[in-house]
Amino acid sequence: MSAETGSLYARIRLPLDAFELDVEWNPSSPMVAIVGPSGSGKSSLLRVLAGLEPTAQGRVRVNGDVWLDTDGGVYVPPWERRVGWVPQEALLFPHLSVRENLAYTGPAASDVTAVSELLSLSELLERRPRFLSGGERQRVALGRALLSNPRLLLLDEPFSALDRPLRREIATAVRDHAREHETPLVLVSHDEADAALLADQSWTLVAGRLTQT
Amino acid sequence: MPPSGSYVSILHARRSVYWAAAVQLPAVLGLSAASGLPQEPEPLVVLAASSLQDVLPAVAEAWQGSRDAPVRFSFDATSRLAPQVFRGAPADVFISADLDWMGWLEERRSVVPASVRPILTNRLVLAVPSGAFVPLDPQDLEDPRVGRIALAGEDVPVGRYARAALELAGVWERIQDRVIRGGSARGTLEWVARHEADAGVVYRTDALAASRVRIAFEFPSDGYPQVVYPGAVAAGSGNPRSADAFLDFLGGPEAQAIFARSGFGPADALQADAAAPGAPERRFTLSPASAVRLSLFVAFGAVLLGLVPAVAVGWVLARSDFFGKTFVSMVFMAPLVIPPVVTGFLLLAVLGRQSVVGGFLDAIGLPVPFTILGATLAALVVGFPLYVMAVRGAFESVDRRYEEVSWTLGVPRAPTFRRISLPLALPGIAAGSVLAFARALGEFGATVVLAGNLEGETRTIALAIYSLLESPTGRGAAWTLAVASVVLSFVALFGFESLSRWQRRRLEDHRER
Repeated sequence: MSAETGSLYARIRLPLDAFELDVEWNPSSPMVAIVGPSGSGKSSLLRVLAGLEPTAQGRVRVNGDVWLDTDGGVYVPPWERRVGWVPQEALLFPHLSVRENLAYTGPAASDVTAVSELLSLSELLERRPRFLSGGERQRVALGRALLSNPRLLLLDEPFSALDRPLRREIATAVRDHAREHETPLVLVSHDEADAALLADQSWTLVAGRLTQT
Repeated sequence: MPPSGSYVSILHARRSVYWAAAVQLPAVLGLSAASGLPQEPEPLVVLAASSLQDVLPAVAEAWQGSRDAPVRFSFDATSRLAPQVFRGAPADVFISADLDWMGWLEERRSVVPASVRPILTNRLVLAVPSGAFVPLDPQDLEDPRVGRIALAGEDVPVGRYARAALELAGVWERIQDRVIRGGSARGTLEWVARHEADAGVVYRTDALAASRVRIAFEFPSDGYPQVVYPGAVAAGSGNPRSADAFLDFLGGPEAQAIFARSGFGPADALQADAAAPGAPERRFTLSPASAVRLSLFVAFGAVLLGLVPAVAVGWVLARSDFFGKTFVSMVFMAPLVIPPVVTGFLLLAVLGRQSVVGGFLDAIGLPVPFTILGATLAALVVGFPLYVMAVRGAFESVDRRYEEVSWTLGVPRAPTFRRISLPLALPGIAAGSVLAFARALGEFGATVVLAGNLEGETRTIALAIYSLLESPTGRGAAWTLAVASVVLSFVALFGFESLSRWQRRRLEDHRER
């Protein structure tokens, strides 16, 4: 593999699922979308990549780093993978304000300000999650992941609660931020339009296998 | 070996209530002996001082041998039985361990005055655990080799006789700091047998019947008031004639011979000791304020001591799955269903001075039995299941995925626990603490066995009320404490409800719109 390209390789068995994927990306624009109908196992694929499924068997390799190799006895715990998982339900820490959620991993204050401006969150910084709308929560979750200096971003239907015009705006912001920081990004969605907003390459997940579209 | 131990007297108290209910049930249901059931002779119900527990059944057997009249006994401390007779327990005969309580019942017309008669006499001895230092007279109790000295409760006859004997011997002032007070005569002896006390003042007959103790010396008969057991027919007896005949039989040669074999003296020895001092005066020292203070201290202590273990166990049970989890959970829940008296008994076995753990704690200056630490531990163990259940519930209510999000952001397990799981479960943990606090306030059974009932040391509200109910003069103070207890419990439960509501609110991350 060349230094110019990144890659994601996974071959996984779960009690109820199996996945096989092998994706290469261009480091200057490492955006991959995986599209599949609901129930195709997209969410559990992301959980496996994040290291949250202890029953997963097989091999996961990201940019040449082995994260899981059941035969070789390798399992890298989630906090070392640092994948910046943005679940569909956002899962903001309910006892922390928006600012505290964004700053959870201790980024510089100037970065927090920059990201909150990028995602139009500046007005909401002192609010608690329960006083936010669904779309606002998704944006905070995105911001929290961007600010954690992730090695890989995993976005699960990240725009599902946003209005159409806002979707484009936020997608562009996330895309620019990820490019600037050279953070590879894997997005899963059931919506091809959403996938097209963000990704350079789009794959379809069918029966545990990816086919390029 | 006699079934003894302070817990036994409590079991007896409870049992007497049960059979009282059982005896009254047919009457309540409108049944009568004539309702066609086979004609069983009405059994004679005898309430008797617990020091007669071993000897009276043998006497009753002799009595039954000559007639078709079964006898049923309820043995307990006289101070508990007398109020039961007063409140109308279905008794035919009452045998008291002192004249005072009998006089108290006579005044209240709860016994037939003409039927009151002395039946037996007893002597006081100093009992020591086998293998311990043996004092030869009361003055030897000042010897440093004698640590704690066990006496029965202030209102239990043998407890008052013992104090009178020690006062007349002139040593009371110097040893009273080392005196621990138990419940019944038998309970006191059990502490001696277990080496929890280095000496105990008990009845000669109890000491003779017990294994693992020996008699150091007998108190001189002119050194304390005469120990007399009077008997009487209960005013509410349905069978006064038979009851009177039974009392006559107890005074007769056949019964007296059996009593003598157990070490009791005959009733007619009464006149010979005319020089003996009169009945000991009643000194009842109990401060309701001290009981409330102590209860609060013990309950707070139990909650603080239990906080880290409860959080640890609650967390493990909520989040881990391992082989034997069900069993571990059962072990921690057990004190919820095991009778507290049994819990106390087991704790005494594990933490008593004779045990490995208790011996170690004693050696480093943390003795458990009969100390405030013992009361705190008893309250903690009995309240721990509620504590753990609440904490476990609080952790289980926290969506596991918050922790997962934190991990994927690069924050490992321990800081995730500290920054996410713990703060999110905090109100529920506080609610558990309050619940454990409330349970600790109400704790009685395990405390009385492990820690005794010592004024200012282990006599919490529940124990104080229990003591006051045994005292003819204690009703007023008992009401004060009962109200205090109910108020405290409601305050605690209100706290629990508020905190539980806060816990639910804390976990809302969005509002239904």
